Amino acid sequence: MSVFMDLNLTFTEDKSVLQRMIETAAQLGFSTVAINYMFEPKAKKKPQIPAPTPITELMDQLPVVQGRSRPIRVLNRLTLVMSDSFHFRSTAPEYRCFDLLAVQPTTEKLFHAACMVYDIDIICVSVTERLPFFFKRAPVNGAIDRGVVFEVSYSAAIRDSTMRRYTIANAISLIECCKGKSVMVSSAAEKALELRGPYDVTNLSLLFGLSDKDCKEAVSSTCRSVLLHGETRKTASGIIYTVKSCSKASDQQEAPPQSETCEAPPSKKQKSSVTE
Amino acid sequence: MSVDVAQAPPSLLVCERSSFVEQNNRVGSHVEQLHFNYKVSLLLPECSSAPSHLDSVLKSFSSFYLIRKLPIYELLNKDFLESAVYHGSVYGLSYKTRIDEDTCVALMPNGRLCLSLDKHSFQLLGFEGTWSRFRPKDRHIVSVDLTDSSMAPGGRGYLRLLTGLMSRLPLSMDFLLSHHPGGGAYLQPLLSRYDWSEHRPEMISQVLPHLSCPSDPKSCDVQSFLEWLGAVDADISSENSSSSFLSSFVCPEPKTVLSRALSVSICGLLPPPDVHRLIQEVRRYLEQTRLETWASLTVHGFADSPVSWRDNEHGHLRGGENFYTLLMFQDHAYHLYLATGAHDTCPP
Repeated sequence: MSVFMDLNLTFTEDKSVLQRMIETAAQLGFSTVAINYMFEPKAKKKPQIPAPTPITELMDQLPVVQGRSRPIRVLNRLTLVMSDSFHFRSTAPEYRCFDLLAVQPTTEKLFHAACMVYDIDIICVSVTERLPFFFKRAPVNGAIDRGVVFEVSYSAAIRDSTMRRYTIANAISLIECCKGKSVMVSSAAEKALELRGPYDVTNLSLLFGLSDKDCKEAVSSTCRSVLLHGETRKTASGIIYTVKSCSKASDQQEAPPQSETCEAPPSKKQKSSVTE
Repeated sequence: MSVDVAQAPPSLLVCERSSFVEQNNRVGSHVEQLHFNYKVSLLLPECSSAPSHLDSVLKSFSSFYLIRKLPIYELLNKDFLESAVYHGSVYGLSYKTRIDEDTCVALMPNGRLCLSLDKHSFQLLGFEGTWSRFRPKDRHIVSVDLTDSSMAPGGRGYLRLLTGLMSRLPLSMDFLLSHHPGGGAYLQPLLSRYDWSEHRPEMISQVLPHLSCPSDPKSCDVQSFLEWLGAVDADISSENSSSSFLSSFVCPEPKTVLSRALSVSICGLLPPPDVHRLIQEVRRYLEQTRLETWASLTVHGFADSPVSWRDNEHGHLRGGENFYTLLMFQDHAYHLYLATGAHDTCPP
């Protein structure tokens, strides 16, 4: 199994609250967290997605994870609360600043599209209200095949008893449908007190109907596969990996070797030798 | 649409009742086989201070060494093997690594090196290993006998593992190390090259006044007795008063109230020979004391060790407990309880 991760810490403008959340997460044993920027496009015009704050601005030195010797890793994540299909634009350049992309569909049609078509990593299951639609096996299995993960968040259950009923009910109906595969459990914590340790979250997931093994995976391996999925999505299916280079000269030196090694037809090869 | 949560996580408890005077008693072998002991807790009812012979043994547990960022290929170093591994017993365990999250490494006193790796690391290392019993497809175990002829320095297996650890998978982590019976002198070739510190096991001793205790531990229900013992060790109240919601642990009936009891705990990398010596001294104390009493000694293994008894694989599902409790009586009888968590083989 891999390290414990909590991929949903709600972003707040107050830096001290965010810092306390990251410190608490490190103390509880989470090795990776993701700061979640929730965005709900409202009007018909082009939505303005907020740019994420760089991690170095948030905290000077990231705290060391309790019981290990490495500092905690902090990522950025965007969640779009969608009520219409044009809210998600797959080629938007703003999405590139985020490591993870999540979507919270509010209608059945959007849920189906998110499972089968959209280029995203996570589908959030609403926990603050009764599910507006039923989960069907076909789109859920389609999402699992594509590597998209379903997320259940638990901090609403900590805040309010009515939300607790909705969280458990919605989670149980999701897990009955997907048989416990590709499910991730995270807090959607707005403050440090709403975070719980990884083994507590594992125990909580038992209430949702997950088996012992799936419970532990929901906090570790599934989160890791989401991260890898996010990296693959950013790098065009893992074919091209762009790295910021230190100088322009090194860029130019790299260009010719690529044209030599590629399997281009003779006419194209001649053209590249002319330009060199 | 409801979920059945009545099934508690499985754990194993093996009970053995015998006497020290019996020829075939297996206390010695159980103690020897749990190599990596983290904590020893001793409870002596009706005792306010340990007698001098017991006190001196409690304070004479061997010291151990913490090496920071030790590259694991150093454990295959020829000088280290010749000076430490081939002579005496080396106990080595990776520090601050979690068995269910990271790579863990253990060096057993019989010369076995055990690496618990995740899939990616195992594929990089390129050495033969097996699937983990409890988490197949996620974890691999590489276990090599460094005293075997195939792993002699210069041999094929040795070179393959050494190349793997030096170039393909350069693992480096904090490492706890101790040598028996030699101590630090045998480890000096390795210690001198890295940042190391010597540590003595930490001993905490306290006298518990007015402790509710089962009046007859011999006939007490095992699970409730162990639960009570754990509550005493963790300093949790077993009064179960109606005004307190913190703890509902109770002392098993029938119970008495002791005027005092001595609770001693020692934490560190504790080698089994020292634990064995402590057991003999506690037996001597029970023989010499005039009160009708008993003693309990609990030895906890490391929760993140890759092995438990007899080099069997140890895992951590929700609790990585692997411990044994030895309940000793004055007539040389004993009750031995060996307990493990979910991802563990049955103790022998």
